[in-house]
Amino acid sequence: MKIKQIKNEKLGDSVFCALHESGLEIRVMPKAGYTSAYAVFGVKYGSIDTAVKNENGEFETIPEGTAHFLEHKLFESEDLNAFERFAKTGASANAYTSFEKTAYLFKGSENIGESLEILLDFVQNPYFTQQTVEKEQGIIGQEIRMYQDLPDWQVMFNLLRALYSVHPVRIDIAGTQDSIAKIDADLLYRLYKNFYNPANMVLCVVGAIEPQEVFDIVDRCIKKTDAKPAERKFEKESAKPVQDYIEERLSVSEKQFLLGFKEDVSEPLLSLEDEIASQIVLEAVCGKSSPLFKRLLDEELIDMGFGSEMFNGFGFSCVMIGGTSSDPQKTAEIIKTEIKRQQSEGIDPAAFERAKRKFYGRYIMCYNDIDDIANMMMNLYFNGYEPFAELDACKNLTIEKAQERLNTVKEEFSALSVISPV
Amino acid sequence: MPQVRMIAEQVRLLSEQTDRFKTGRISVSMALPMDERMAANSLLIFLLKRSCKEYPDFSLLNGKLDELYGASLSASVSKSGESQVLTLSLTCLDDRFALTDESIVEQCAQLLASMIFSPNCKGGSFGAENLAAEKRLLIQRIEEELNDKRAYAFNRCISLMCSNEAYGRPKYGTVEEIQAVKMADIYAAWKNMLSTAVIQITVVGSSNADDVAKIFEKCFSKIERNPAKTETVFIRRGGHFNRYEEKYPVNQGKLVIGFRAGTQNSRDNLAAVTVMNDIFGMGTYSKLFMNVREKLSLAYYCWSKFIASKGLVLVEGGIDTNKEKKVSAEILSQLSDLRNGKTDPEVLESSKRSLKERHTLTTPESICAWYASQVLEDEILTPENIVEEIEKVTMEQVCEAAKKLSIDTIFMLSATEEGETNED
Repeated sequence: MKIKQIKNEKLGDSVFCALHESGLEIRVMPKAGYTSAYAVFGVKYGSIDTAVKNENGEFETIPEGTAHFLEHKLFESEDLNAFERFAKTGASANAYTSFEKTAYLFKGSENIGESLEILLDFVQNPYFTQQTVEKEQGIIGQEIRMYQDLPDWQVMFNLLRALYSVHPVRIDIAGTQDSIAKIDADLLYRLYKNFYNPANMVLCVVGAIEPQEVFDIVDRCIKKTDAKPAERKFEKESAKPVQDYIEERLSVSEKQFLLGFKEDVSEPLLSLEDEIASQIVLEAVCGKSSPLFKRLLDEELIDMGFGSEMFNGFGFSCVMIGGTSSDPQKTAEIIKTEIKRQQSEGIDPAAFERAKRKFYGRYIMCYNDIDDIANMMMNLYFNGYEPFAELDACKNLTIEKAQERLNTVKEEFSALSVISPV
Repeated sequence: MPQVRMIAEQVRLLSEQTDRFKTGRISVSMALPMDERMAANSLLIFLLKRSCKEYPDFSLLNGKLDELYGASLSASVSKSGESQVLTLSLTCLDDRFALTDESIVEQCAQLLASMIFSPNCKGGSFGAENLAAEKRLLIQRIEEELNDKRAYAFNRCISLMCSNEAYGRPKYGTVEEIQAVKMADIYAAWKNMLSTAVIQITVVGSSNADDVAKIFEKCFSKIERNPAKTETVFIRRGGHFNRYEEKYPVNQGKLVIGFRAGTQNSRDNLAAVTVMNDIFGMGTYSKLFMNVREKLSLAYYCWSKFIASKGLVLVEGGIDTNKEKKVSAEILSQLSDLRNGKTDPEVLESSKRSLKERHTLTTPESICAWYASQVLEDEILTPENIVEEIEKVTMEQVCEAAKKLSIDTIFMLSATEEGETNED
């Protein structure tokens, strides 16, 4: 394995990268003074993967929620399950599924090498029967119900359903009660084979471990295959949202809203520069020190939870702005007017500098936490970037670029999602 | 090991100096009794966070934080035993990352001190508009507790269980109490906090704690201190058992069972109760996880939590409303097994390993929170101290601790028939 060291002088941290012959990318950041290590083994398979390429080279639809279902099931095995194995090393293990990936992880301070072997082993060895799959349907069924009662979650998925007509970002991560009922052991084995191959995965380890130890363990534990990365279906969306307003009633005390602006994307992925420029310009326009925040607060239209987010991934990109409000429509109108004003008059250079400085600080702060670092390294890899790429993108951002990104926010492509009290 | 020094009467400064982080964190925790002043105290801490004399406006203060490389400021109100703890914290970038020659940490310490000691207050008034705005936000915050049914049910069980104790009071005070607060009450709450609160300033990072100590020492030297510690009442056994139910149009019901832990103070039998609670329902090897979730598929989550500062253990689960009896029977049967020593010895070892792991704190926030939560303790406990005690716990001690649990209150947040989508 050829090992490449990438050092960031300012941070004083280095990442050791290597591509294993199996196709697995490995990234390790040793951290001096730390007593724990965090490892994440990620696969490029998330809730948006609702189609797989079959032997004829055609995309075939699969039920919603399979990535998440598989995440739950991989912890099981014929004898000791993964939790029982980690209990012997003391590490805390977990996993999560998002729109674009599934991640298996542990954090430990003793027997780190041994824990790493368990992580690599259980993810590579699926074992389930029809009986254990059925048992999981009950547990995941309760998980789905729990999310259905969370207003923050519902307001976002309703917005995505209003913005996107075909892209699977509009479906719930865990699927639905109906879709998970269609999942059986055979299907899970087939999907496992399709997505879980080293060329579709990355291992990131951060903390109290020597890079060479990680490379040696991978060499010993990763099965060599000639599999290729799984191909993802690009669902080209029309620029127009499905509907411009969506509302649901839930047991909440006050209305919650999320205003979304869909971006017309021609390529599946936004560049990191564009993504960060959008985040920073949103901070300048909607952040706590902005005139907009003050106005909405003074008019009693928002609370301290008001905020914005750039939400993008494979085939989707949108801006989300929201919080709690007694009058979501009026609040949305004020936000749209302010964005238009800053599009025509230009963003305030002082506000831009403040926002950029804030992000510079916050990006560096991320390098405290071994969890954050490992997850960030994984995301950068899956999107085709080298470690620390976000720091350069932030440092080199110009106000012209920020303005250009703000100008992509279009009122005619917006939708408003509201949760109202029952 | 952290360094501890007293900088004024009942004002402790605890610092853990380390250069492995990229940030500095300073947290000021101020503990007061849980009495009729809770509402005014809560409003006060949010007013102090809103602006200060130097930055007398919300936008100016937040602009300053942005300029300080995104320093993040937070205010919170929590309960520690029967005390209300007001906390103001700042996390900032370490000086070595500044783009110009400046000390970020010192500026932040100064800013935090001036927010507490030099608020935006003229002639006893914090500004009528500011107070009205913070009242609205606080009332909204309380009403929004209902949005998260898990947290709501958990807190509701505690308040029902402790309805005859100070601990049963809501941490921010009630909506009615907040509405009734006058400007003079805020001013009085500020004066009272400075002179009577039991205070701990916790500093984690590479900066020299002496500089932070000097800033706060100077501020406190002008204050006449008359601090008083509150005693927390520990009820060792649940009395008459009660079940309460509330119905909401939701998809999933929430079951909370409240137990008295049988402890007499926040440090009583701490290691054994911690291990017992972990085996009962915290780890993935725990009885509740293994049985309620894995074996019977009754819940996605079902776990137990130990509140040492008040001697409570609470079990909570998200379940189908019509399965309440089945789930509570299973929880009690698991407790019975725990009491009778029906626990694999390997699970005890797993628990000890896992607890040791969870006491290995890896972020400045978690280190700061660990120590800040000890504001009312006379002796500081390090994570290593408790781990050492945990390692000595025997299965007999676990059974004994489990035998001391006594059920007190069940709270069930049920789905109304329209809300229940489940047919089985």
